[in-house]
Amino acid sequence: MIEIRFHGRGGQGAVLASELLAQAAFLDGRSPQSFPFFGVERRGAPVTAYARVDDRPIGVRTSIVTPDVVVVLEPGLLRTTSVGDGLRTGGLLLVNSPLPPARLEAPDGVRRASVDATAIALAHGLGSRTMPIVNTTILGALARVTGVVSLEALGRAIDRYVPAAPAENRAAATDGFASVRLGDPAAPSANGAARIPFAVTVPIPEGPLARLPSSSIRTGSWRTLVPEIDERRCTRCNFCWKYCPDDAIELDGRGYPVLVLDACKGCGICAEVCPPHTIAMVAASEGP
Amino acid sequence: MAKLTLPAEEWMYRGHAACPGCGPALAMRLLLKGLGPRTILAIPACCWTVIATPFPTTALAVAVLDNPIESTGASLAGLRAAADALGLADVTVAGFAGDGGTADIGLQALSGMLERRTDAIFVMYDNEGYMNTGVQRSGATPQGAWTTTTPVAGTRRGKREPKKEIMEVVLAHHPSYAATANPAFPEDLVRKAERARAARGPRFLHILAPCPPGWRFSSEETIALGRLATETGLFPLYEVEDGVYRITRPYGTLKPVDEYVRAQGRFRHWTDAEIRELGAQARAGWERLCRRERETAAVARPPPIPLTA
Amino acid sequence: MTREVLSGNHAQSHAVRLARAQVISAYPITPQTTIVEKLAEFVATGALEAQLIEVESEHSALQAVVSASALGARTYTATSSQGLLLMHELLHWAAGLRAPIVMGVVNRAVAPPWNIGADHTDTMSQRDTGWIQFYPESNQEVLDTVLVAYRLAETAEVRLPVMVSEDAFYLSHTVEPVDVPEPEIVDRFLPPRTGHAILVPGTVGRLGSFTGPDRYVEFRRELARASAQVPRVLPEVEEEYRRLTGRSHGGALPTYRAEGADAVLVTMGTMTTTARTVVDELRAAGQRVGLAKLRLFRPFPDTELRRLAATVDRLGVVDRSYTFGASGAAATEVQAALYRGPHRPLVAGFLAGVGGRDVTPAHIRRMFAELLGPADPEPRWADLAPLEVDVHG
Repeated sequence: MIEIRFHGRGGQGAVLASELLAQAAFLDGRSPQSFPFFGVERRGAPVTAYARVDDRPIGVRTSIVTPDVVVVLEPGLLRTTSVGDGLRTGGLLLVNSPLPPARLEAPDGVRRASVDATAIALAHGLGSRTMPIVNTTILGALARVTGVVSLEALGRAIDRYVPAAPAENRAAATDGFASVRLGDPAAPSANGAARIPFAVTVPIPEGPLARLPSSSIRTGSWRTLVPEIDERRCTRCNFCWKYCPDDAIELDGRGYPVLVLDACKGCGICAEVCPPHTIAMVAASEGP
Repeated sequence: MAKLTLPAEEWMYRGHAACPGCGPALAMRLLLKGLGPRTILAIPACCWTVIATPFPTTALAVAVLDNPIESTGASLAGLRAAADALGLADVTVAGFAGDGGTADIGLQALSGMLERRTDAIFVMYDNEGYMNTGVQRSGATPQGAWTTTTPVAGTRRGKREPKKEIMEVVLAHHPSYAATANPAFPEDLVRKAERARAARGPRFLHILAPCPPGWRFSSEETIALGRLATETGLFPLYEVEDGVYRITRPYGTLKPVDEYVRAQGRFRHWTDAEIRELGAQARAGWERLCRRERETAAVARPPPIPLTA
Repeated sequence: MTREVLSGNHAQSHAVRLARAQVISAYPITPQTTIVEKLAEFVATGALEAQLIEVESEHSALQAVVSASALGARTYTATSSQGLLLMHELLHWAAGLRAPIVMGVVNRAVAPPWNIGADHTDTMSQRDTGWIQFYPESNQEVLDTVLVAYRLAETAEVRLPVMVSEDAFYLSHTVEPVDVPEPEIVDRFLPPRTGHAILVPGTVGRLGSFTGPDRYVEFRRELARASAQVPRVLPEVEEEYRRLTGRSHGGALPTYRAEGADAVLVTMGTMTTTARTVVDELRAAGQRVGLAKLRLFRPFPDTELRRLAATVDRLGVVDRSYTFGASGAAATEVQAALYRGPHRPLVAGFLAGVGGRDVTPAHIRRMFAELLGPADPEPRWADLAPLEVDVHG
């Protein structure tokens, strides 16, 4: 049995990726299982899905805590989510990233693979710059580096179950299959420990009242775009502050907006409402 | 440097779990600026159950009590009665419920609370459907809108019935204060929240809360769409105090509804004729409202009704 | 102390007046209605200073007192039958929020067909909600138990809601003499509720909230722990009540002439009184029979039952409701409790009095006769077969 955990963002298609993998494995004549973890299903929020494939019916119905393979649909999650938790030694970390595998951080002894799924998906017109739909591309890559499903079965599963643009998705899967790069296992790091960071944990308080401010939760990690404020053209009208649903803009002593990076989800409202258009939304990986 | 047109204090914490561009999140942020920190908030099952983040964190800097989806009105009655019995002065008791928890399953408890003259504020944030569970139809979903339970397929073209007019239902109970508001007009929303706080007896706010995933639009357009909803006359802003109507938005002539409809994926299947029909409905509603404003302007206020929980 | 002839419902109302409940909310339903009518009168005349909310449904009735309790008020509501079923969702909320509400429930049959007679189906189908459940047999016990219920509910380690049940008409509308304690006595027993206002206006805190699988079970475990404190706390509270009023009703499972008995009948509510008379009669005739009253059904008195089981070979358990697809709830729970203990007497289940049918001395006699006859643990409907003697004999 092979156990695969998918990490993506709400709206990116991680749950569908896991389901498509199961459908494709079934078409290959194997016994699959797939299910999502139900948490906060918000656009941009971290999402987890699980898949198991075996030649016999799957005899376990639990979350996957020690996966053989971890698939990361959005590279930003490497910084904010403990995607590598429980990944077995000799296991595989497959990341949507333009970086070569050797530059990916991974727990010790874990093999690394990368595919620039965002570029491939956009080349085939799948999704938008802020929310590329990379699930089919990365499944093509997964088929290549694990052999868990055949590319042919994956193509047929896409034809049957992808609601929109199946031809483009099939082509993206083929490109993912062709261009994925597999690297060496990660060498032990200097401090000897896995370097994948863990999620923020908060202490459990006494009593039944929830009273810890949510400001400790870094929803800034959800964003794919980030506002860039051109202070020179700012008229200090404070529209950006007024309309922000995430309270992610503060005004400094002079009335200029200051972005609260930990909170900004990159919705783009501030750029849209700014009368002199001094705010631009730029890719989160390039912005502040 | 422009003067702040809203109170600077925030009673909603950042880090909440709303979707990017969430109308209900902005509605809460603005509402609490008007209601202030001495608010006890009753929240039924709705988007905000989740937005407020899981135990032990909270996105609200006020006292909050969860309740099941249908009983917000009754929770307000209990909170008010206890506050009075315990001598907790200057407490603002308010409920914050979605359109389902207000106008559908929550209607009975809302009606009970209004009829008993409960001294509390019931706020309905209207994202026009069951959005937290993945976009299902509610009584507040507009006619012709796609949802997962009113698909556009075969002979079906979205929701077949018109949107429930909750303000009409509420006003039939003669609340001491009722108003519509829209986070795209923050000063108006905050001012109405302040007025609601200052009034006594049953009070009601109907806040339109655009939902990017549910209405199928891009997250940066929340404010633009909210403005259009009001400027087209589809969601005019007004207040009714002791039966007297006062329109606060829009000013002047109504905008055509085309842009509002075309910006939303839930109306993607609409024909030009359907859009024209909606425009006619918007104008008719607007004219009815203007008429009421004229007719009630001269009416003397009725004597106040004594308050109970 | 004054001695008055009161109905069970008015005994309940007087107890709530003496407890100085601060927020009361209820909806009319036969035969519970007179409890709230009397309370409305107390509030109107100033005999009780309380906020009375006349809600539009039982669901709202319980929601209102749950919310009032969360702010720290002492609260009361009452219902029956269909009304209790409508409250079901909120029963879970009340226990889960640890709201020390006291609720009077007049046990009545569930429709269809419509029937307003005594029947325990309504409360039995709420036994998994986390509420403490008492089943008194007299109007005096109703009054005393409501007062004890408030102390128990508000004890810091417990802090759970309590139902005090009354059999419809046999208690609710039966008038009999009741000792009503003086307010000063009750005030000493039951001081104002303090120390656990959970929500505080002007401070940050969300009560209810939501959790994933990572935290939810801890909340449920806390509830289980609270419930497990009841067997320890109840005797302490009842002893203090006895010192002040001279009355005690014997804890969770009071017994009557059970020592050295060949067979003991376990009953709930009003049929206990009738059964006690039959026990005297049968004892006088040389039959060694006894009685145990299942006064507290939640938490279930496992320990007391095991103690009883050590001394008797045959137990009959009478249920005034039927759990479809199984048998009587009390019988199956007695069996389950004893299976985990060292002594396992024969436990026979009887179903009697469903839908307000009289449980007469003749019925009780026949139950004892069957219990002392050939060993047969199969549950049986005790009042379907015609009686060979005059039913009121």
